[in-house]
This record gives sequence, structure tokens and C-alpha cells, in this order.
Amino acid sequence: MRSLGATVSIFIQLLLNGLLLGGAYAIVSIGLTLIFGVVRVVNFAHGEFLMIGMYAVWLLAQHFGLHPYVSALLVALLLFVLGASMQRFIIQPLLSADPHIQVFATIGVSTALLNLALMVFGADVRKADVVFGTESLMVGPLTLVSGQLITFVVALVVAAGMHLFLQRTYTGRAFRALAQNRMAAALMGVNVNSTYVLAFGIGAGLVGLASGLLAVQYPVFPTVGQYFVLTAFVIVVLGGMGSLPGAVIGSLFIGLIDSLAGFYIGPDLKEVVYFLIFLAILIVRPTGLFGLGRGSE
Amino acid sequence: MLPNFNNPRVYVSLLSLLILLALPLAVQSPFVYHLAIQVCVFAGLAAAWNIVGGFAGQLSLGHAVFYGIGSYTAGLLVAKFGISPWIGMFVGAALSMVAATIIAYPTLRLRGPFFSLATIAFLEVARLLVIYMGSWTGGSAGLNVPLQIGLPWMIFREKSAYLFVAFGFLVVTLWVSWLVRHSRFGFYLIAVREREDAARAVGVNAVRVKIAAAVISAALTSFIGSFHAMYLTFVEPSAAFSLEMSIQIAMFALIGGLGTVAGPVIGTVMVLPVAELARGWLSAFGNGTHGFVYGMLLVVTVLFIPRGLVGHLGKSAQRLIDRLPSRRTDVKTNTTLAQKTSPARHQGKPVLKAEGLYKRFGGLQATNDVSITLHAGEILGVIGPNGAGKTTVFNQLSGFIRPDQGTVSVLTEDGQWITPTSPETFARAGVGRTFQVVQPFAGLSVMENIMLGAFMHTSDKAQAKAIAIEVAEITDLTTLLDTEARGLTVGGMKRLEVARALATRPRVLLLDEVLAGLNPSDVVRAIEMIRRIRDAGVSVLMIEHLMQATMALSDRIIVIHLGRVLKEGQPADVVNDPEVIQAYLGKGYVHAQAA
Repeated sequence: MRSLGATVSIFIQLLLNGLLLGGAYAIVSIGLTLIFGVVRVVNFAHGEFLMIGMYAVWLLAQHFGLHPYVSALLVALLLFVLGASMQRFIIQPLLSADPHIQVFATIGVSTALLNLALMVFGADVRKADVVFGTESLMVGPLTLVSGQLITFVVALVVAAGMHLFLQRTYTGRAFRALAQNRMAAALMGVNVNSTYVLAFGIGAGLVGLASGLLAVQYPVFPTVGQYFVLTAFVIVVLGGMGSLPGAVIGSLFIGLIDSLAGFYIGPDLKEVVYFLIFLAILIVRPTGLFGLGRGSE
Repeated sequence: MLPNFNNPRVYVSLLSLLILLALPLAVQSPFVYHLAIQVCVFAGLAAAWNIVGGFAGQLSLGHAVFYGIGSYTAGLLVAKFGISPWIGMFVGAALSMVAATIIAYPTLRLRGPFFSLATIAFLEVARLLVIYMGSWTGGSAGLNVPLQIGLPWMIFREKSAYLFVAFGFLVVTLWVSWLVRHSRFGFYLIAVREREDAARAVGVNAVRVKIAAAVISAALTSFIGSFHAMYLTFVEPSAAFSLEMSIQIAMFALIGGLGTVAGPVIGTVMVLPVAELARGWLSAFGNGTHGFVYGMLLVVTVLFIPRGLVGHLGKSAQRLIDRLPSRRTDVKTNTTLAQKTSPARHQGKPVLKAEGLYKRFGGLQATNDVSITLHAGEILGVIGPNGAGKTTVFNQLSGFIRPDQGTVSVLTEDGQWITPTSPETFARAGVGRTFQVVQPFAGLSVMENIMLGAFMHTSDKAQAKAIAIEVAEITDLTTLLDTEARGLTVGGMKRLEVARALATRPRVLLLDEVLAGLNPSDVVRAIEMIRRIRDAGVSVLMIEHLMQATMALSDRIIVIHLGRVLKEGQPADVVNDPEVIQAYLGKGYVHAQAA
């Protein structure tokens, strides 16, 4: 029999773990929701972008001794280029094609990248060997890992920054205008193609940032992206496809469910729980839990 | 039930298919046998997927669910109860059909990537549950199928035996796919895929059609899954419920050509051996080679041949094949349209009644106590200024919008009044409609467009064709029957709208601005057409902006303004009514006239 005090402190620890995990999910989901919101393409290769970023971070740490937090910025740049090229050379020619053709295109990129990593790096699990970011911190009876806290804070800062960017700058307004009506935005002088390339690049760049932050806690292997991206899809649908605040709230929500369901229901079933929530949202409320999105289109 | 074997297209396809059997038997190499069996399995899976992904246009990326259910059901029944997989595969198929219904029903209204995401989620849930219930599924370690050799257990010493069984499954799947493509059901699937609203207006129950496609596809996928489990003698969750496999299946169909019978097979034959060989040759690079080839091929396909090999090369191949000898037996069927209501019988009696319709959109009272009665054999014109609520009324008369209050009732053939509730039930009750913004099935020919309407009363293709030809006569489309609908002029498309509605043999025809946007000579043709339709015994209600034409055509006119019926009467009375003039031209005009 656990005492009441222990039960409460376990619960609080679980809440904390959930929120911090939510921070990690948020940093991955922001880029995905941005790309969906602006370009209106569901990027199935998003997870593979993360995987490539994490391998890049690992290589930089192995060969140049760069700390992942430092290489995060370089990798963000690398992924910006990768994302922008994908938009320019693969998605742009398919903009007026059927949606299912676009789905196939991003799935093709995803499959090719995943297997390329398998060919080059093999199926082994690799992890950057770092100290800073992996220390345990004790706050009263609670424990947390410093890197988790850093990831959480950066995720919130990035989300807030993106929000300001979308609200306050001309480019941000162009993003929002395109999201609402491509034709009308073009008539108002927004250069559709270059804005899409920029948006896709930024979305991919954000996942590059995420790979630096996550590489401190998580090992990298070819399918690591799939693990994160399926959760990110759940989050993005939950928060309302294309909504930035929705993605952050959705991340924290799924983080909490992950942590609580993992403890109280069982680690094998926690994913079942949030996939069922995901299906329920898609079917009952396609605009997302908070009605911020456009999933029903 | 069977294709015409004298047709060169059919016998060339079947002979090519036989190569899949003949080549390995000639070469007698275990690797070639394995390759041919895998090609049969995946071609079958792709063909089954194509019924949902191609014909119905719903991009399922979770199809491995049904493969997995088939594999596990057959595997578990053998392992735990010693039941033959020949029986187990039917149990698996039944379970898959139930699963397909459960998955399809709620996800029907999801489109494009959202449908795909939902199917992935179902796949993940199924995989996780199979692992969770490890005590009897073997969990993530998998399940070994007991090695009992012999036909009853679908496990053989000879590879050739596997090949024959796999080939059998492929042939059955292709036969079902062919049946679907060439039946009324196949037409309906394509119609729902292209334009759901227009399909419902010709009486297609979109929900039932989509679920039926999912169920058929699931059963076929499950059969092949059962066989494959026996061939591999091992089932594990990560392989049986794999996203990777779901993607592969869809990819083979895409590369070959979505929505064609031959496409999935051609795609598999072209891609699978190449990737398998690449795996062998480039094995120095480790795993992933074939996956990399798949991914690159997929990107190249969508960029350069998005309609697949069959879509881009099929026409020229067909022309070549058509030169081969054939013994075409042209089946002539005598059909009579018959059972048209004779104009005299119900002349002047009401056939459609709308009573006290109210409809509100947010703050806008779009329809405010509208009652309309349409009499047999008359042309009733509904006019009103822009935004008066004509189209909203129209949508309520055809079931596309349900009124907040009030009823719409229709007199059926046998003199009963009924109140249909959905577009398809309205269509079946004898109310045909056209759309203001034309909704042709652009990729189908004019003939096929009209046949879709005709299928409401017959499932026989020849009969539907006969009806289409007859309707084309009335609507001036005879010379255009073989044109693709997308190639028609505006006038042609409007007449096609009418033709499709007429082919459902309606007793009431609702025309939504069929004259708008036509050039003067097309207007004249359309007016004559509407007269012909009325003279054939169909009561017509038309919404129109063109005043002169409406005045000339209509027996009676109803003016709608601000969602209400403003005036009802003879054309001459209505057009001179001061209230009507004011509604159209404003108070100022009336004052100016008075002054």
C-alpha cells in the first residue's frame, strides 16, 4: 500500500513528465503544422527530416565534437535547404495535381530517405555522447532531466516567435493569406511559388532545430522519425490542422496522455489510447479539439 | 459474368498473365519461383486495394490491416484448433469484412490525406492490440504456423504447388476486379469518386457504395493474407500489420495505373522483380536497397507519369492489340423505355408539393414559409432577384438541404404521396435535377455520363446504353456520345446535365439555370429541348434568370424574394406586377415610372 503522499507525488511527477514530453512533441509538430497550414500538403516525410537531422547532429558530435545544441542551428540551415528543395522540385510541379498524388510524392520521399539511412548507417542505434543536457535535477521530491526542460522552453519560445512572425511581418501575413486562399493571395501580389518554398523550408528548418534538441535525449536510428511523426500527426490533427497554438496545446495534451496512460493503463496501450483519440477527433470533430483547424476540407 | 474471350484485349491479357505461370515452370529455379509467387501475392493485393484506392478513389494506407487479419486468423486457427486454412481464410475474410465496415463507415466523409491518416491510425491500433494480446497471438515474437504438409494445410514441399495456388488467388482477385469495373457498381464507384453530389442526384447511395467497395476489397486482401501466412509459415505483427507493406501495395497500383484492372498487375510485375534483384545485387550496401528503389520510383512516377503506365501508354497498347483478330459478336438488345407516365393521365394534378418550408443559415432566413405545388405536365418557372433564395428552395426540393420546418412530398408512380429525405431517395421517387454549376463526370464519355442516370432503373449495361441513346436524341447530344465530357461546350455540358437527369426517367425534372451563360443559338436549342421534355410527359420546374425565355416557356411563374413567395400566377400577370418590378429594380425605379 502506497501512502497518500507517495501517490500524490507520483501523480505530480507524471504530470511533469507528460508536460516535458509534450515540449519535445511540440518542437516536432510546429514545423509539420506550418507546412500543412500554408502549403496544404501533408508532409509524410517530416519524420525522415527529423531522422536526417539527428544523424547530422550525431555526425557533427562524433567528428567535430560539437554539442547538439550548437549543431542544431547548422542542422536547421541544412534542413531548410532540404525542405525548400523538396517544395521546389517535387511539390511545386504537383500543386494542381490530385491530393492523392501529393500524398504519394511525400510518401515516396519518406520511403527513399528512410531506406537511404538504412543503407548508409545500418539499423544500429546511435547516440551522441554528451553531458550537458542529460543531468538529473531534483526539485523537492520531483526529478527531471535538464535537456527536457531546455527542449520545453525552446519549444514554447519558438512557437511564440513563429506566432509573432505570422501576425506581424509581411511574409507572415503572406503565409496566412496563402493558407486561406491561394488564388486571392496571388491576385494581391503574393508570389505563390517562392512563398511556398520559404514556408516549406522554415517548416523543415524547425524540425532541424528539433533534431538538435532531441538528439541529447534520444538515440538515432533509421525509423526514429516514424516514431515521432505518427505522434506529430495525431497532435496536428488534434490541435486543428495548420494551427500553431493548437499544435502546442495538442502536444502537451498528448504528452500528458502518454505519461498518464503509460503508468495507469500500461505502456503497451498508451499509443492505442492516443490513436483512438486521434480517430475520434478526425471523425467527430475534423477541425480539431479546439476548433482551430480546417481538417474537414 | 465473364469477359468476352474472343476480344483481343481479353485474350492478350490472359495469355500475358499465363507467362507468370509458364516462366518459372520452364526455368525451375527456386529464386524465380519465389519471385513469381511474390508477384502473384502482391499483384493480387494491389488489385484488391485498387477497388478502394483506384475505383473509389480513397487512398487507404492501412490496407495491411486486412492482410494481417487474414494471416492471423488462418494461422491461429491452424495452430490452436487444427482447422484447415482453406476454411480459416473464409473466417478471416468474414472478420475483415466486419473490420472494413467498422473502419469505412466513420471515415467515409474524410477526404484525401485525412482518410489516409485515419487508415494508418487503424492499422497502428490493430498492430498494437495484436502485440498486447500476446498470450494467444504470440505477441511481437510472432506466430509459427505448424508445418503440416499437404493440400488441406496449404503447405507444400514443391514451390510449384505454391505458385499454382498463388496464381489462383490472383486470377480470382482480377476476375472480381474486372466484374466491378464492368458493372453498374463500378460506374457508381467512379461517379462517387468524381462528383459525389452529381452521383447522389442520379440515385446513387454514396455511403453504401463506398462501404461495399471497402468490404469487397478487404475480403480479397484477407484471402491473400491467409495464403501468404501459409507460404511464409510465420506471422509477426510488425510484418503483417506494416505501414511499409500498405504503402507498397498502393504504390504498385499507382505505378501501373489507378482505377484500371490491369494496372496493379503491370505495376507489380514491373517494380517488384527490379527491387528484389536490386536487393540481391546491391546487398553490399546492406538493407534498405529495395526500399530506396521503391521510394525513388514512387517520386519519379508521380512527377512524370501520375496516371501510371496504363494511364499513359494504355491507349496506344490497346490500339496495337485491337489489330489482332477478333470475333466480335455484337449483342443487340431490344429495349423499350416504356412505362412513361402518359401526359393525359395525371394532367393538371399535383405531382410535387412543398409545404411551409423554412431554412435558416446563421442569421440569414434563406427560406421563409415557401409553399410550391407543381402540377403534372406543366412548366413552372421560378424567378427572383440574385440572392432571393431560389437555389436554397431548389436544394430542399431535391433533398440536398433538409428544411428546418415543412415538408416536400412527391407523388409516386402508383399514386402514393411520399416524403423522401435524401438526394438519392428523391431521385428514386422520380425527381431528377440538374446543377447550376455543371457537374459532369469529366473523365467519362457523354454516353457513360448518361448511362449513370439510366443505371437507376436497370443494372444491365446494354439496356443502359439504349436508354442513353434515346435520351441523347431528346437532348441533342447524339453526335457527341463518344466525346469525353470535359471536351463539351458550356451549352453541351448544360444539355448533358439534363440528359443525365432524364435518363433516370423522372416524372418531375428540376432545372437549375440551364439557360444561363448560353449563346443565343444554344438558348433556342435548349428551349426546344425543354418543350420536348414536357411533351414526353415530364413535369418541369425551372429556375431561370433569362426573363424572356422563362416567360415564353412557363405555364405558370412563381416569384421568390427575400426567401418568400412574392407572387404566383400567369407569366403576363406576374411580369407587370408592381411588387415584382420593385423587387427586381428597386423602389426608385417604381417612383421614377410613376413620376
